[in-house]
Amino acid sequence: MKTTYISRILVVGISMLAFFGLWEGVVWLGGYPPFILPSPGQVVQRLGVLLADGSLWRHMGVTVGEILAGLALGTVVATALGYLLAHFPIAERLLSPYIIASQSVPVVAVAPLLVIWFGPGLLSKILVCALVVFFPILVNTIVGVRSVEPELRDLMRMLEANRWKTFWFLEVPAALPVLLSGLKIGATLSVIGAVVGEFVASNQGLGYLIKQGQQLYDTPLVFVGIGMLIALAQALYGTVALAERFLLRGHSIHTKEVR
Amino acid sequence: MSTPVLQVERLYMAYRRPEGWLEVLRDLSFQVAEGEFVTVIGPSGCGKTTLLRLIAGLIRPVSGQILLRGNPVFQPSREVGFVFQQPALLPWRTALENVALPLEVDGCSRKEALQKARALLRWVGLEGFENAYPTHLSGGMAQRVALARALIHDPSILLLDEPFGSLDALTRETLARELARLWEERRLTVLMVTHSVSEAVFLADRVLVLTPRPTTLAAEVPVSLPRPRDATLLEEPAFIALVREVRERLNWAQRSGSVTQTPNLWYNPPDNRANLVGTVSNATLESDRRTSGAVLPGYRD
Ligand SMILES: Nc1ncnc2c1ncn2[C@@H]1O[C@H](COP(=O)(O)OP(=O)(O)OP(=O)(O)O)[C@@H](O)[C@H]1O
Ligand SMILES: [Mg+2]
Repeated sequence: MKTTYISRILVVGISMLAFFGLWEGVVWLGGYPPFILPSPGQVVQRLGVLLADGSLWRHMGVTVGEILAGLALGTVVATALGYLLAHFPIAERLLSPYIIASQSVPVVAVAPLLVIWFGPGLLSKILVCALVVFFPILVNTIVGVRSVEPELRDLMRMLEANRWKTFWFLEVPAALPVLLSGLKIGATLSVIGAVVGEFVASNQGLGYLIKQGQQLYDTPLVFVGIGMLIALAQALYGTVALAERFLLRGHSIHTKEVR
Repeated sequence: MSTPVLQVERLYMAYRRPEGWLEVLRDLSFQVAEGEFVTVIGPSGCGKTTLLRLIAGLIRPVSGQILLRGNPVFQPSREVGFVFQQPALLPWRTALENVALPLEVDGCSRKEALQKARALLRWVGLEGFENAYPTHLSGGMAQRVALARALIHDPSILLLDEPFGSLDALTRETLARELARLWEERRLTVLMVTHSVSEAVFLADRVLVLTPRPTTLAAEVPVSLPRPRDATLLEEPAFIALVREVRERLNWAQRSGSVTQTPNLWYNPPDNRANLVGTVSNATLESDRRTSGAVLPGYRD
């Protein structure tokens, strides 16, 4: 058990070392200038400068704030609406054309509109983020609530459980695994949403940094931004995965055997 | 005698199907007295589950009445303990937490609920499995948990829908003996559906034999075998004779499909039902004239 954990870390470490080694090698052999392809060392150096003047934390803080707010907003609205749609098929039939239409329009296309309506500030980014997160969580909520076995619903009726108690004792735990996998998808998508929002119009955030790096041919800066976004997405995904492990202690035994 | 715990009076039930109405129950009446163990046996698909769901208040009949301690049943209530065909345990709760669920839903403190659940779980023979999740329980154990959960409210009546239906023969027998012992200890009022004739006789004070759809009562067979009952009973001539009788009744019902054509050789219905049987015969004759017999005349869309 413990040895496999250590060996897994070892494998990841070796592969990352190999990756950066290869990268360094390509730059060295090709003799590329930094504005085409900076070496890992130059990227780290640029990172050091950004850390020293404190600007990295400021921009990252802005993006993290947008992501968390967007994720929260999207999740709350999507789960609430999903619960309603799962229980009222008529509402689903009524709303699903609009929901699907809203999904077939790329966010990149809607983002400028949101900036026009809600200004270039934080709000428009939060909304873009929420919009991206919305659909997977909505769908998973509906699937989760619908997946509750009818026999278990009968059981709750036999216990004279009201709507709230059925929700709390049955629907929440039953839908949780599906909901959490929706949240995992949503968490990674929310990073994209925030960056798209920042690309359209902004003067702060990681997306802004990347755009600035592009305009100034400060390619190491672009790489720092990308690296930070990757780290952010990983951290978010990891947090949800951890919450999942904790919340589904009983479930995990269940699902493991079912599969 | 005091009023029966359960009175089923002239129950009619039909399901709406794309091709019309499927008549399931037709003029079914019977009673279950306090502390009585009644088993129900009938052909597959005749509406046994439907009957239990009606009694539980999960569905509403087309007509007829169900009285629980004299009060009409309109909706599900805690007065009824229901063990479904499948255990229907919550997979994210341990055995103990599953048994405690009804009390927690009532708003009992978790500690108190778990304490009561622990005692019940021990009573059904699952001491040491308190913290096991449902997937780690065998089918028989899961049904015991479901039984304990159904009993935690001290229901007026316990409804069992083929609780051993999905178990292997050996586990089935063990559980049937176990159930007989539990019943003898507590004198519960039980209505149990089964498709095993010997199980029906072994457990019951009375066996209700049902006809095929549209279902009504084919026969009531009183079982006055001594208690406590154990495995030795299975070899006794009285037991074997009763099993044969119930089987013959069942075969008869399956061939003729109606109560009136069953000769009352072995059994006389109680006086208060004599006039009911007359009505049934009319209904049945009508159904014989129709070819399908499954569609109510006025209900076709
Ligand atoms: N909700 C429903 N809608 C339509 N038809 C139904 C419904 N529930 C049951 N039926 C039909 O009613 C008939 C009786 O069903 P029921 O489940 O009560 O029979 P059963 O005696 O319990 O069968 P089994 O022996 O298989 O358990 C069956 O033909 C079934 O297909
Ligand atoms: Mg059934």
